This record gives sequence, structure tokens and C-alpha cells, in this order.
Amino acid sequence: MFLAIKEMKHAKKRFVMIGSIIMLIAWLVFILSGLGNGLSTLAAATMKNIDGDLFIYEEGSAATMMKTKVEGKIADDVEGKYGVTEAAQFGQSTINVKSPDGKSKNDVAFLGIDPGKFIEPKVVEGKQLSADDKFGVIIDETLKDKGYKIGDKLVVASSEMELTVVGITEGETFNHVPSVFANVDTWQDYAFAAPGADNGLESPVAMIALQGTDIDAQKIEDNYDQIETFTKSEAVMGMPGYKEESGTIYMMLAFLFVISAVIIAVFFYVFILQKTQQFGVMKAIGASNRFIKNSIISQVFVLSFISIIAGIVLTYLTALVFPEGMPFNLDFKMVILYAVVLLIVSVLGSVISARQVTKIDPLTAIGRVE
Amino acid sequence: MTGLVLKNVTKSFKEGDSTVDALKNVSLTVEPGEFIAIIGPSGSGKSTLLSIAGALLQPSKGEVLVNGTDIGKIKEKELSSFRLTDIGFILQTSNLIPYLTVLDQLLIVCKMKGKVTSKQIEFAKTLLTDLGLGQKLKKFPNELSGGERQRVAIARAFVNDSNIILADEPTASLDSNRAFEVVKQISKEVKDRNKAAVMVTHDERMLEFCDKVYRMEDGVLTLEG
Repeated sequence: MFLAIKEMKHAKKRFVMIGSIIMLIAWLVFILSGLGNGLSTLAAATMKNIDGDLFIYEEGSAATMMKTKVEGKIADDVEGKYGVTEAAQFGQSTINVKSPDGKSKNDVAFLGIDPGKFIEPKVVEGKQLSADDKFGVIIDETLKDKGYKIGDKLVVASSEMELTVVGITEGETFNHVPSVFANVDTWQDYAFAAPGADNGLESPVAMIALQGTDIDAQKIEDNYDQIETFTKSEAVMGMPGYKEESGTIYMMLAFLFVISAVIIAVFFYVFILQKTQQFGVMKAIGASNRFIKNSIISQVFVLSFISIIAGIVLTYLTALVFPEGMPFNLDFKMVILYAVVLLIVSVLGSVISARQVTKIDPLTAIGRVE
Repeated sequence: MTGLVLKNVTKSFKEGDSTVDALKNVSLTVEPGEFIAIIGPSGSGKSTLLSIAGALLQPSKGEVLVNGTDIGKIKEKELSSFRLTDIGFILQTSNLIPYLTVLDQLLIVCKMKGKVTSKQIEFAKTLLTDLGLGQKLKKFPNELSGGERQRVAIARAFVNDSNIILADEPTASLDSNRAFEVVKQISKEVKDRNKAAVMVTHDERMLEFCDKVYRMEDGVLTLEG
């Protein structure tokens, strides 16, 4: 550590240069993770918020919302059996509503749920849903920002249905658009208005979320026709675009980690080559390989540590100037996680380079060797 | 016993298909308090001898005893810590670490052993003051003259209080006055601190400060008187 810090103080320019590269990589990593987080929230926040342990979908639907229909009465049927404590129906459609001032139209996710069950989000303003108020809905606060408020009537396009806002909740987006929660039968009236749209199923829904410990998934699948059960992470993965978006982001992040390891390894490789004579002298005087390696690795540690902190600061500064509505959502826990991964990766890169110290011959220190 | 003893040391190097003997049956004894010089043309084997005496190379045949320890019997991995505690090297001028101050050049050697004690810091300061560098403790090598740099190298060789001091061309790239000064100082420190010292040089003007002078030619060491 002693050598490492003395050297960094002495050769500031060189270390500022490599440090700024690490800082920029860290910055890119954090921005990407923020974007990834923002996008996945947009795609699947509602799905993630549902506190279910097991999910029933139509057989062969691969947990994709667009492809599934199951009979709603299964929900009442499984409750209290197979380890299920509570079962809640869930249906979804994408609809178009006129804004209250009539000037714009907005795509929203029209979600039918069982009021009062765990599937219903808590409102931050107004009232919860009630079975008596058939056309009452809870909207996400992003719609409030667009001018919707409690008591507003929402006219559903291509339908005669009119909904009334009774409550506002937060952090609920589904399939990249804000969520609007309604009674499940109201949703069914809309979704299956056309004859035959229900595929002959009785009051169908898209999915049934189950709560309970040790739910016997196999027994449920055996007892009902044409259904399949999925875990929560499978259900989230099945959200349209979710897998693709997060896959892209994670791939870029993985590349960035590899790139930063390679940059550090190459930089310090060249650095060690430059200092072969110096390390030769130190070895002749009696420095062990470990002493020199420790000094190199601790140098990389200090350098990366400072640079990554600078990268975090830079990220939060950039986040301030990002345009409103950009799906950017920094999760501090995730920032710390990636910072630690980046630090480990950099140090590993330097460990690889430091191995060549062993090959330096202390004899290089002695003038001429015959 | 203390001091440096070489008994019938031969060192061979492979050069293509043939082997070259860089040292042929060399024997040498240096007692504590003795300062000897080895002179000879380049390629004669001086540096090889110094490398063997300094535990940088191991002999092909023969015995090298440093403070009674046979270097040939030390494991490769333990040689560095042996060099650290038992041997002080004075290398050519350019061999200070560029980003360390004069005092740190000495303390880094102590650090290689473990924690630096305040006693070691005091000792390092005393050494440097003895060598006339008391005012330059915070200077970097590029702020020193060639002679001053070499005096730092001398102090560095003594800082671990090892019994053997080996100097490799300590006067290279110095003018006569400074060269005299440096060799005089090595000699003084060796006598004061009762060390066994070997200096390899091609500079025959420096020999008046040495107790014995050996000449190396084609791997054979002979006493000059």
C-alpha cells in the first residue's frame, strides 16, 4: 500500500488517465443498470408487485399474458385446497382512454382483479375498489401527472364503457403503459363483449395468482384441464418484452465488465513491463514476489475504488439532467452491487498482470551478467 | 562464522550446445571489517561472482557461505528474504525508486520485512546524516546529484544491518572527485560497522581505499596484493 500510494501521488497524470477510463466505464455500467431497471419496471411492475407464490395460466401459454385464458371459477375452487390460502383472478387488456380535457388519448393497461384480495394495490389517494362500485377504477400516479384525477370519467375507446377514477396508486405499470385496475367482471364485460371471444369458457380470466405455503402445483395441474402453473419469476419473464429488454441490458453489462477487466490487465501489463528494471532492483535488494504483487494489486484496488466512487457521483449528476419520462430508475442497492462487481473484476484483471512479476529476474539489477 | 566465504566455486552457463565456465574454481574469503575490490575486464566474470555472493545465482559447483549459511542449500523461494536480511547491495546510480523520497528509499527496505518501527526510522536518519544527506531526506532522486544518489544507495545497503555489503560498479557515471568521495564513504561505513564488503569495479583509481584487490580474468580470480 505504501509503495502504491507514493507512486500514485508521484505520477498523478498517468493514474488520473487510467482512473478516468475506469470512471467512465463505471458510469456507463450504472447508467445501463438504471435504464435496465427503469425498463423492467415499465414492463412488469404490476406483475412484480403481485405477492403471489404460484400462478395459473392456460396450458401452452408459456406464461405469456397475450396467450392465456383460464376459467375464473378455478380461483374459488382451489382456495383452501392444495395449500392455497388465497386465490385471485387477473385479467388484462390494453385500452385507449381519452384524457379528461379531451385533448389527448392514452394507452393504459386495463386490469381486472378481485377487489379486496392481495392482488389489489394499495391506494395512496382515494378509495380501494369495491364490488358494489362496478365502474370504479384505481389508476397509476403517472396518469395523475397527465391530468387525470379522482372523480374523472374515463371513456374507453371503441366501447361504450365509462369508468370512474376512485383511487390512485403508485409504481404500477404493466406492459410499458400505466395500469388501471377494475373489478374483474367489469373487465370481462369489456374483453369478451364480442360473441365467442371467451372461447366457450365460463367467465374467463388471464391468470390466477395463488398465495400459500407449500402449494402442491402438480395436484392442481392434475385436477384441472388445460392449465399450467408457473412460479413468480417465470411469470415476470413471460411479460411481453421483459426477457428481451433485460437480456440486452445484461449482455451489455457483462461485456462492460469483461472490457474493464481487460483494460486494467493490459494497462498494468504494460506498466509492469516498463518497470521491469525497477522491480529487478527491488527483488535484488530482497523484495519477495508477493511484496511487489501486493503493491500492484493494492494500487489497482485504490485506483478502482476512487474511480468507481467518482463514477457513482457522475451517474447521479447525469440522472438529474435526464429528461422526464425517460425510463431511468437508479436502485441504490443495485449501484452498490455493480460497484462491488466492477471493483472485483478490476482487481482480478490486475492479479492476472501481476503474475508476470514472478518472471522478472533480479539479475537485471546487476550491471552486466556474463 | 561471519563474513563471506567462497570455496572452489564454479559457475557454468549453457550457450547453445556448449557450456561456458564463467567462474572457474574461485575461492575467496572476506572477513568482517574487510573491504576488498575485484577488478577485471568486462566479460571476465566479475558480475557473476557478485551475483553468486549476493544469492542472486546459485553456484554450479562449490560452496558459498554467507554468515556461515550455505547459499546452495537455500530454497529458491527463500533466497529473496535471505538477501533482504543478510546482504546489502549497492547498485549503479539509476537504481533508486523514482517516486520515493530519500528517507522512503530506506524505509521501503524495512517495509519488505514487515512493519517499520520508529527505531528503524531513527537508524535510517542517522545513516543518511552520516553520509551527509541529513538535509535531503524529503528529496526525490531526480532532485539529487549523481554522487548524492549513490550515497542514498549506500545508506540503503546498510539499513538492514546485514553483514555483507556488495557493491556493483558504485562509481560508474560519476566524475573522479565524486567517485572518490563515494568509495571513501563506503570504506568508512564498512570499517565503522564492521561489515564484509566486496566492490566490483573497473575503475583502478579507487583501489587505494581497499584492503585487498583481486583481479578476475576469464573466470579465474587472483590476488593482486
